[in-house]
Amino acid sequence: MAVRFRVLVLVATCFVLGLGVPKAPAAGLAFVVNSSSASISVIDMSERKELRRVPALREPHHLMLTPDGKSLLVGDTTGNQILFLDPATGDVQRRVPVSDPYQLGFSPDGKFLVVNGLARNQVDVYDTVEMALIKRFPVESTPSHLAFSPDSHTVFVSLQGSDKLAAFDLTSMTPLWTEPVGPTPAGVLWLHDKVLVADMGADYVAVVDPESGKVTDHIVTGKGAHNLFLSPDKKILWVNNRVAGTTSALDAETLKMMRTYNIPGGPDDIDFAPDGDLWITRRFAEKVAILHPDTGDFETIDVGRSPHGVWLNPAATSP
Amino acid sequence: MVDPFDLAAGWLHETFVIPVLYAFGLMRWEELAQGWVLFVVYGAVQVVLTLAICLPLERWRPVEQWPDKHAVGVDIFYTVLSRVGVLPLVTFVLFYQVQVALNGWITDHGWIPPTLEGLIPPLIGHSLLTFAMYAVILDCADYWRHLVSHRIGWWWALHSVHHAQRQMTFWSDDRNHFLDDMIAFIWFGLIALAIGVPPLQFPLLVLVLRFVESLSHANARVSFGVVGERLLVSPRFHRAHHGVLAHGRRSCNYGAVLPWWDMLFGTADFSDEYVPTGDPTAEEALATGSWFAQQRSGLRRLWLTVVSGGKEA
Repeated sequence: MAVRFRVLVLVATCFVLGLGVPKAPAAGLAFVVNSSSASISVIDMSERKELRRVPALREPHHLMLTPDGKSLLVGDTTGNQILFLDPATGDVQRRVPVSDPYQLGFSPDGKFLVVNGLARNQVDVYDTVEMALIKRFPVESTPSHLAFSPDSHTVFVSLQGSDKLAAFDLTSMTPLWTEPVGPTPAGVLWLHDKVLVADMGADYVAVVDPESGKVTDHIVTGKGAHNLFLSPDKKILWVNNRVAGTTSALDAETLKMMRTYNIPGGPDDIDFAPDGDLWITRRFAEKVAILHPDTGDFETIDVGRSPHGVWLNPAATSP
Repeated sequence: MVDPFDLAAGWLHETFVIPVLYAFGLMRWEELAQGWVLFVVYGAVQVVLTLAICLPLERWRPVEQWPDKHAVGVDIFYTVLSRVGVLPLVTFVLFYQVQVALNGWITDHGWIPPTLEGLIPPLIGHSLLTFAMYAVILDCADYWRHLVSHRIGWWWALHSVHHAQRQMTFWSDDRNHFLDDMIAFIWFGLIALAIGVPPLQFPLLVLVLRFVESLSHANARVSFGVVGERLLVSPRFHRAHHGVLAHGRRSCNYGAVLPWWDMLFGTADFSDEYVPTGDPTAEEALATGSWFAQQRSGLRRLWLTVVSGGKEA
């Protein structure tokens, strides 16, 4: 009730002052994974307020919604387990033992869950129904991020410690290729029949041919290009640059730079709110930033230590 | 509530460490470096905190006064090397890697890696209580390691580097032979692995326990009273362990943080004395030599003990 009253007052004030009607913050719950605090912050998106922390066991990093939308999976690496959370409330549904789950991803057809074991140099493919391990691909060094081809036939995995990208055929469960793509490759994204790889040891995103694994182009974004995300309308490619402390917006069609925003404190993962804001975790600042792309301003909310993965559920209602 | 040490480490990491890693093509170590910087900060804070508490205590009620404090200077070198440099690096990087490999292997074989929270599920989410329980278990394990290091000849030869100091101060806690330190770390690490200490807590546990250990070495006439002496190891309690007549297998009060283990296993001495410290059987280099001379002398004593079939101790 108090929130509604404050919004009404704000709207009325702006109307009287001729400023137009301000944008109301999107409602819902935000989930932020605090890697070094072993917890997941549950945040009321409209109130900008942390409601509670769900305890993990040791060191959670990334999270992913199941294809049926019934569970939010959080990988706890040194805890060697995946937490299944209720995406509407954050309540723990169950904990499943899984070896070193760092980055998680469901294939677009929903058949496979691919789990990168960063510390154990393994890429595991699980059957999503039984959560049974189908195949383990040992890799050269630190499998970090992943992306699928739209037909679900191939998964691409960055090998952060070896400067390479690896491709695995999920139909035959065989390795396809492992090719150099630049120093310390991290974020991976499929875009317009190419694979984009953010190179944290450089200032660019490498454009890779998915068939051969060869680099065809470099797109300069900023020092320490770490992770990249496509906006929900698929028009903007967002890149976080770890060393520069910036977030770059690129035209997703042309890959031309549109604008760069200063987001200090180790910008890492991004999720998109329905109101157009970007929620960005800041690894070294114990904060999540809410960037308003139109103005370039950002607000912050205090969370736990080393916030990493972030996921927004606008459909959830605050208790 | 934000953690000021974590924020300070984050600032150091972003401002100084990351640019260096980037410039030298070492960004693959960025994530590990982040953890290491945090424990360097904790180590530095711990040294400052130890100074702030122990220095006034030693000035207020010193047990002994020395005109020449050269031997104390060497102990300061030991402390800085250990707590700000080597300790965070070894405890964090090495323990992390070993635990990841071991627990991943255990999970792969269908078992659950051992943790206190696994044994007592309500502990999940109560990190302070869990931290305290891990500290108590590790302190008990350290009691036994310490006691055995006094009973086995070759081990005592190494450990005597620690006991040879006649000018014992709060800096003396880290005065150890590097082989003795290594054995202690392996023992400590194995126990921590067996009970599932979180890798991000392990270096912090070491630092917290070491803080109490520093205090217990202080050259201060400080006792915690009849009850307090039985709750936490005091400078008086630990001084008895370092007494000139208590070297080698004749010693007492082996507990590092909690005196409970000495009380439980019959090795406690609560007599109200502040005895002179040192090892009369050690050669002079062990007491007053440089860091290098002490390490070399410790190795020589080890060698003599081994070739004499343990009689040297």
